[in-house]
Amino acid sequence: MSVTDLSNVLKPVSQARGLPNDHYISDAVFDAERDAVLFDTWAGLTVGARLPEPGDAVPVTFLGLPLLAVRSKEGGIRVFQNTCRHRGMILVEKAGKVGNVIRCPYHSWCYALDGRLVTTPHVGGPGQNTHDEIDRATLGLVEIRSHVWRDVVFVNVSGTAPAFEDYAADVIARWAEFEKPLYHGGPESRFQFDVACNWKLAVENYCESYHLPWVHPGLNSYSRLEDHYNIEAPGQYSGQGTLVYRPTLTDDGRKFPDFEGLSDHWDAGAEYIAVYPNVLFGVHRDHAYAILLEPVAKNRTIEHVEIYYADPDVPGAAWEDMRRTNAKMWYGVFEEDVFVVEGMQRGRHGLYFDGGKFSPAMDGPTHCFHAWVADRLQPPAAAAE
Amino acid sequence: MNVDLDAALLAAHAAGDRGALVRLYAQAGEAAEAEGARERAAFYLTHAYVFALEAGDPKAKTLHARLKDWGCEE
Repeated sequence: MSVTDLSNVLKPVSQARGLPNDHYISDAVFDAERDAVLFDTWAGLTVGARLPEPGDAVPVTFLGLPLLAVRSKEGGIRVFQNTCRHRGMILVEKAGKVGNVIRCPYHSWCYALDGRLVTTPHVGGPGQNTHDEIDRATLGLVEIRSHVWRDVVFVNVSGTAPAFEDYAADVIARWAEFEKPLYHGGPESRFQFDVACNWKLAVENYCESYHLPWVHPGLNSYSRLEDHYNIEAPGQYSGQGTLVYRPTLTDDGRKFPDFEGLSDHWDAGAEYIAVYPNVLFGVHRDHAYAILLEPVAKNRTIEHVEIYYADPDVPGAAWEDMRRTNAKMWYGVFEEDVFVVEGMQRGRHGLYFDGGKFSPAMDGPTHCFHAWVADRLQPPAAAAE
Repeated sequence: MNVDLDAALLAAHAAGDRGALVRLYAQAGEAAEAEGARERAAFYLTHAYVFALEAGDPKAKTLHARLKDWGCEE
């Protein structure tokens, strides 16, 4: 339900104003957005690379909700509430191998990796593991709808979103050429930023190339503003593309292997898209990344960056120096953005800030995201009557 | 349970040694069964079963079958 006046946000970009301040500084609005924008859609939770083998499990607290991503024996990933059905104990505290079953540390109720309740020790008394009133078939782990795309584990907490393949059909089709195996670069290809800003500001900044010349001056030499184009898919995603991605990570001419079968467009093209609500992707001919925005509080976000490569050999020792150079380059770029998103967060406390005025030429992707958020927060038409 | 077995179990718990926990709890269960203490035996074999399940130890199957046979599992 809408708790602020969003009518100006929903106007065309040339007349619109941005989301009101409360969308960045109000606990009530943060809670409303948690439900309508993050729980009701497909939100990025973690990545498969964090649980690479059967029996691996990763606990993630997502907006206060204790969740557990588990890789089954068959290799697929499922997400459950990380809460025992007995007394509500948290099942898994740390990422790692849980073994053949998930055993609650409190009374040892054991769940198979597919969530089924397998045994309930002493539930009927010492040495008696059954009881007439304990129907194991009804007491399995609560599963949260999940889907893996580009190694990102998406979740739909409410259970009401369209199938992911439909929700993200357009961007899946757009990047169909990149539907290739992804190989995570390993520990040095993963880093994070703990940023004092609302998660939406990270999306908004990522979407636009307008800030590049000033905030990322290093790009001016090889990826000029005029080489970028806007990407807008109203209601779904937005971002930017570049026509001049030319990786030069070494002096000796070595290059990462490319993804196979890409069309000529990707020889020097790259795209950077925010898939709403909270995952920022980048694709290039020779590597890709995902940035998962973890909304911690109205004014705090943890940005989890994961870098992937096209060839299974690249995570190996022979490519370590180039992987480190690539990760360092991206770390530097994303670090440069921290002061602007934190500055915008502080600016939202300006009593007379009206949400901001968009450049129709340059801020389309950002407004696209604002309009999507505003639309999701609109009350149902029936309730409005 | 005898003192040595008890000490061994505590050490296995401290070390997180699932293999030892399976073996030692099964041993405690067998000892109780030999004394005719079925309920106590089921208690210990339950622990052996749980740790065997967790470890993916094939003994889980036989432990489960035994407990089920005693009416203590389903």
